[in-house]
Amino acid sequence: MIPLAPSDYDAIRLSLQVALAATVLSIPFGFGVAYLITFVKFRGKMVLEVFVNLPLTLPPVVVGYFLLLLLGKHGWLGSLLNDAGIRLIFTLKAAVIASAVVGFPLLVRSLRVGMEGIDRQLINASRTLGAAWYDTLLTVILPLSAPGLLAGSSLMFARSLGEFGATIIVAGNIPGVTQTIPLAIYEYASSPTSETMALALCLVSVVISLVVLFMHELLARKMARRD
Amino acid sequence: MKNVIKALTTLSCLFLLAASVLAGEINLSVAASLKEATNELADSFAKSHSGVKFLKNYGASGALAKQIESGAPSDIFITANLEWMEYAKNRKLIDSATIGTFAYNTLVFAGTPGKATSMQDLIKLERIAIGSPKSVPAGEYATEAFKKAGIDKQLEKKLVMAKDVRECLMYAERGEVDGAFVYRTDALLAKQTRILFMVPQELYPRVTYPMALTVAGAKNRDAAAFFSYLRSDEAKTVLTKYGFAVR
Repeated sequence: MIPLAPSDYDAIRLSLQVALAATVLSIPFGFGVAYLITFVKFRGKMVLEVFVNLPLTLPPVVVGYFLLLLLGKHGWLGSLLNDAGIRLIFTLKAAVIASAVVGFPLLVRSLRVGMEGIDRQLINASRTLGAAWYDTLLTVILPLSAPGLLAGSSLMFARSLGEFGATIIVAGNIPGVTQTIPLAIYEYASSPTSETMALALCLVSVVISLVVLFMHELLARKMARRD
Repeated sequence: MKNVIKALTTLSCLFLLAASVLAGEINLSVAASLKEATNELADSFAKSHSGVKFLKNYGASGALAKQIESGAPSDIFITANLEWMEYAKNRKLIDSATIGTFAYNTLVFAGTPGKATSMQDLIKLERIAIGSPKSVPAGEYATEAFKKAGIDKQLEKKLVMAKDVRECLMYAERGEVDGAFVYRTDALLAKQTRILFMVPQELYPRVTYPMALTVAGAKNRDAAAFFSYLRSDEAKTVLTKYGFAVR
């Protein structure tokens, strides 16, 4: 049996919690952005696309640092929130925000692929039959982009589980409060006497990732079969 | 033919390695809190010994011990507590005959003025930065003091773990934590942060920096020369200037 400390169980729970919250909170925004990019024609679409995908290529540390500048006690948004009595930095909320920003492009990408696969004739037909744009959105586009949504959110969930660079900057490393699996491994890894503990958590991390990715693949298969 | 090329490449790599040793490189693995003092000592040594090049590695003492154990190049090892030196000694990573004491320090709580004036005040705070006790001696001294003061349970979920003592100080400087446990010498370098109180000495063992030549360092003539320079009166003056105690 692999030895896990009580703080490790906390880390596993926190990781799942952060990944789930980040994914669920991002879904409405991700859906909105994917819809805009796929179906709406407007100026500056490319700029939006680039900005949405930016966290995919930026080093997560850079994302974390920008978030710190924005949300920190002296940051322009952070100081406003601070006056309102809301504290983000070094809380679990900050970990959720960091994961959400870093994982967001993955969600949008899958959603877009899903939406682009929708038969335009179905959309046009619903409109000519008298559906308002929001009716079409809710009864045609939303159900038909469900596979893309599932694929995107499982991918984002997996990415959020591994978020380290941005998280350590904005959420710190507080055992039992903000210490997720990667942060706990990082702490173990710098200590010569915690080798087995680090390895045990690495193993947990591998297992969770495998499970999520298998589920992702299964969903993708199902989607392909339906076509 | 392939094997010949392989052998030649290996040989030339070995020569390159040997050449770099001949060029007078000194690899330092030094506790993060000694950064400025060690930099100054290395600079002044390099001035009088031309051709000597320093490769400085500053970090948490535990992390440095792990690096040396994993084969990182290191000639001189200086830690911020006895534990990690002992660890290196037990694994035969250092030349134990050379172990000596480099300096002493004291643990303080530093932060924004007015946040706390004693250990008992800490309970009221929201976020306190300490070095991860798994590898950072400053964090180990701090957790020991919490236990002795009987406040370790109350502080449990307020502790932000930093990778070394300087990261602790940075958290306090940015105002993201109420305060941080650092050494007096770190707090003296801070711009925003002030020392709020000294941790009572009866709560933790005296902060001692042992130093030693590693097994590789004992064979490096330049490293040995720098090592004896570190024990000179001149070095002690520099250490005192940065606020370290030398006896």
